[in-house]
Amino acid sequence: MSTAATTASVFDELAAIVGPRNLSDEVAELITFDIQGTQSAIRVSPASAEEVAAILRVVAARGLAVAVSGGFTQQHIGNPPERAEVLLDTSRLVALDHYDPGDLTFGVGAGATVASSEQRLAEHGQFLPLDIAERERATIGGLLATNTSAPLRHGYGGLRDYCIGIHFVTGDGMVAKGGGRVVKNVAGFDLMKLMIGSFGTLGVITGASFKVAPRPRQTATFVCEFASLPEAIGFRDRIMASALTPIRFEIVSPRAMEYVAAHSDARDPDHYHPEAPVAAPDTSWSIVLTAAGSDAVLARYRRELSAARELTGSAEHDFWNGQLDFHANVAARHRNAMLMQLSVPARAVEAALAGAEHAAVEQNAMCAALGRAALGSLTVAVIPLSVDPPSAMQYANAASAIRASLPPDGSAYVLRCPIEAKAHFDVWGSTPTDRSTMLAVKRALDPAEILNRGRFLL
Amino acid sequence: MLFASSIVRQLRKIAGRDAVLSAREDLMLYEYDGGVQRALPQAVVFPQTTEQVARIVKLAGKEGVPIVPRGAGTGLSGGAIARKGGIILGFSRMNKILEVDVGNQRAIVQPGVVNLDLSHAVAKHGLYFAPDPSSQKACTIGGNVAENSGGPHTLAYGVTVNHVTGLEVVLPDGRVVQFGGKPAESPGYDLTGFFVGSEGTLGIATAITVKLMRLPESVATLLAIFDSIDAAAQTVVALTSEGVTAAALELLDGWTLRTVEEAMHAGYPMDSGAVLLIELEGMREAVDDQKAAVIAVCNRLAREVRVAKDESERQRLWAGRKNAFGAVGRISPSYYVQDGVIPRTRVPDTLRRIEEIAKKYSLTIGNIFHAGDGNLHPLILFDSRDPAQMERTLAAGKEILAYCISVGGSITGEHGVGMEKSEILPLMFTPSDLDVMQRLHDVFNPACLLNPQKIFPMARSCRETNAAAHPAAGLAFTQGGPA
Ligand SMILES: Cc1cc2nc3c(=O)[nH]c(=O)nc-3n(C[C@H](O)[C@H](O)[C@H](O)COP(=O)(O)OP(=O)(O)OC[C@H]3O[C@@H](n4cnc5c(N)ncnc54)[C@H](O)[C@@H]3O)c2cc1C
Repeated sequence: MSTAATTASVFDELAAIVGPRNLSDEVAELITFDIQGTQSAIRVSPASAEEVAAILRVVAARGLAVAVSGGFTQQHIGNPPERAEVLLDTSRLVALDHYDPGDLTFGVGAGATVASSEQRLAEHGQFLPLDIAERERATIGGLLATNTSAPLRHGYGGLRDYCIGIHFVTGDGMVAKGGGRVVKNVAGFDLMKLMIGSFGTLGVITGASFKVAPRPRQTATFVCEFASLPEAIGFRDRIMASALTPIRFEIVSPRAMEYVAAHSDARDPDHYHPEAPVAAPDTSWSIVLTAAGSDAVLARYRRELSAARELTGSAEHDFWNGQLDFHANVAARHRNAMLMQLSVPARAVEAALAGAEHAAVEQNAMCAALGRAALGSLTVAVIPLSVDPPSAMQYANAASAIRASLPPDGSAYVLRCPIEAKAHFDVWGSTPTDRSTMLAVKRALDPAEILNRGRFLL
Repeated sequence: MLFASSIVRQLRKIAGRDAVLSAREDLMLYEYDGGVQRALPQAVVFPQTTEQVARIVKLAGKEGVPIVPRGAGTGLSGGAIARKGGIILGFSRMNKILEVDVGNQRAIVQPGVVNLDLSHAVAKHGLYFAPDPSSQKACTIGGNVAENSGGPHTLAYGVTVNHVTGLEVVLPDGRVVQFGGKPAESPGYDLTGFFVGSEGTLGIATAITVKLMRLPESVATLLAIFDSIDAAAQTVVALTSEGVTAAALELLDGWTLRTVEEAMHAGYPMDSGAVLLIELEGMREAVDDQKAAVIAVCNRLAREVRVAKDESERQRLWAGRKNAFGAVGRISPSYYVQDGVIPRTRVPDTLRRIEEIAKKYSLTIGNIFHAGDGNLHPLILFDSRDPAQMERTLAAGKEILAYCISVGGSITGEHGVGMEKSEILPLMFTPSDLDVMQRLHDVFNPACLLNPQKIFPMARSCRETNAAAHPAAGLAFTQGGPA
């Protein structure tokens, strides 16, 4: 049977599952759901876990593969799909599962956007401690699948710390859940941990429950500038050893600040105008922290951080929104930039950042980096200079030079780079976790390898 | 099951002559854990290195005998019991702190390190290990990892899994593998997080990388005294919904606090209906603010709120909480401790329900629990010589857990499923949920030689040939309390 004939009959089978209005094979539409150069033949939008299961069984039976998509904000991560005839779109998986404001717990469908969840929680002065970009589009399922790290992680922990229950469907169509909706629970295996950061390769997440937090009544952000990276790190160490307990604690490289600050004019290497030179390059490293609490708490920060610039109100709000847009700002200005996500122990942050700066220069590029100063979760942008259009090998070389500056259990994976370059190096890099065990887990939950095939590190 | 003396000989060859027990009188000490479900192992071995663990596991695999890891044996769900006999792997000789990395706020420890010993060892750096089970003077970090243990301060800092970033694991086939490391996370599946809480059924943790937290600048310990348990329960709801983030929020009902007070002289007023033990930690200014907020909320319903004046008063208040099980043990030879969880908004009606259940079955039930997490520990007193009372105790325990589930809760918040609750796990999970969990179990432990017949109902357990165990219906009975 030809592929076209297969997909035609698959279309009918899928239509029987979700109803004719909830799938499409319009090329013009599917083109807008391109994943790194791969377009699916059918887009299908299930409304329940059972429908997801039925879809996956059809896909598996026909020997096809499926790409899972939420808000399409992170599809640039990972390898291009090996193939993905069917695009499973989670946007209809939005039923609110539960919200108990008095208990500070919240459960929601995977297709719900971060913004809609936040809106719901805000009515009770609560929030998911996640400050991420593109909240109008980003979905809860996508967030979990990619284990997105955000500045508030410093004070509130990551998704693995406050996701208390998960619903998903395995590659072979088993509907499953782990955890529950209470904040403490050790019944059964912790399937939340397995699904968080699995990039849709173990199952299609259909819903999740979280511990939520009361929104702090008052915050202030302090920006501390240093002439060099070692000085910034020295200051970070003093804060880490102090009694201060900021809720955000970021390090921002000189060049990164240009992509953070609201309405700043980044010195765009693609737009060189000698007759209108931009401001002198900023050379200072910043440590930026947010304090939450009463007047007395904020006064203590002011005392201890007397040299800092303080941001409150809309200035504070704008700063952090700018910080969230770092990735998007870089990508918008430099189509050929490479962004990497690094994870290292606290002590290795300095070497990793110095290594990234050095690696960029070696490859004729600029480096802009920022991230969690104490947690060691860093985003590094390598921005090629326009003088020499970069070759694929320059990306590969920069990535391997950055990786070489990390300790053995550190990691650096590519968030974004030109697709053509991806074929020339390993975008995921190494991980300290045993590969063969990960592979065995993958085979147990997606035996036919139909989920996001070829995209992840396995 | 035939247990050849040649196995004991080989164990001695691997771990050393003095590292193996096989005489019946020695084995009897390893027949039970914190509960008193019993099963006799055929040998106990105390490895000293990861390599020895791997060799012992391979030997067990070759001989087809079960192997059960064991820390301090303080577990309350029968996790460390050799339900099908076999070899117990005791970690009392793998009790070294391998590395303290102050700059990265990490330590790497062997599984037999006692929880509190780690905090003591790093205190000189101003650091500590946050998970603090009430058994922390005895229980091991290996046991904490297996059970994903909590403690009073779990409320603010999370349970064990939130404090483990890396593991060295010996798999049931004898391979030694690494999951995670010192970084907060790495790309790939979070097998570290998945392993924590797997109750010794997926592999044996031989080195554990844990987070160390900075000791708080300021600590305030408060005792809120109430005339009724309902008033205390309502206060828990109010504190939670008003977003007061205490480091710990523990509730003791009148019966329990009197029992504790008689034994420990912790300073709990004998005539009160319930107390809340509340701890606030952090920056001085933040603690001062929280203290004011907590006192304001408590004062709505409390008879009195006391603030510990000094460290010795603090320690006394906590000694009462941490030694409560022991105090109950003084007056009742046997008691059954439950571990249900409920949404915090349901604390008042759940406590009323427990009172009704106690009446219905003519039993005394004490309540002492992690109120801030909604993690109940009803203590059902009984006389093990009276079979009718044992029946009623069992029925009452089951009814309490059924109620927890009916309000959206869980059958266990920190003690684990083990062999105690394996038959009631299906009350929380569908057959399909359990199938997926068991598939994952089989990825690691396909022959079920590692800690067999735990977590999953007997009818679902691997059906190997030598089925010495008897299928149990309903909740398995844990009588008597922690030793
Ligand atoms: C008085 C008292 C108070 C308690 N208070 C609390 C409390 O506040 N919070 C709480 O959570 N628990 C509490 N517990 C329960 C118990 O102390 C914890 O579950 C503890 O973590 C068990 O540790 P252990 O070393 O005694 O483990 P054990 O009981 O020896 O073993 C427990 C489980 O861990 C497995 N195991 C042990 N070592 C390893 C290893 N290296 N690799 C893989 N698996 C392993 C065993 O097979 C078993 O399944 C209490 C118990 C008592 C007696």
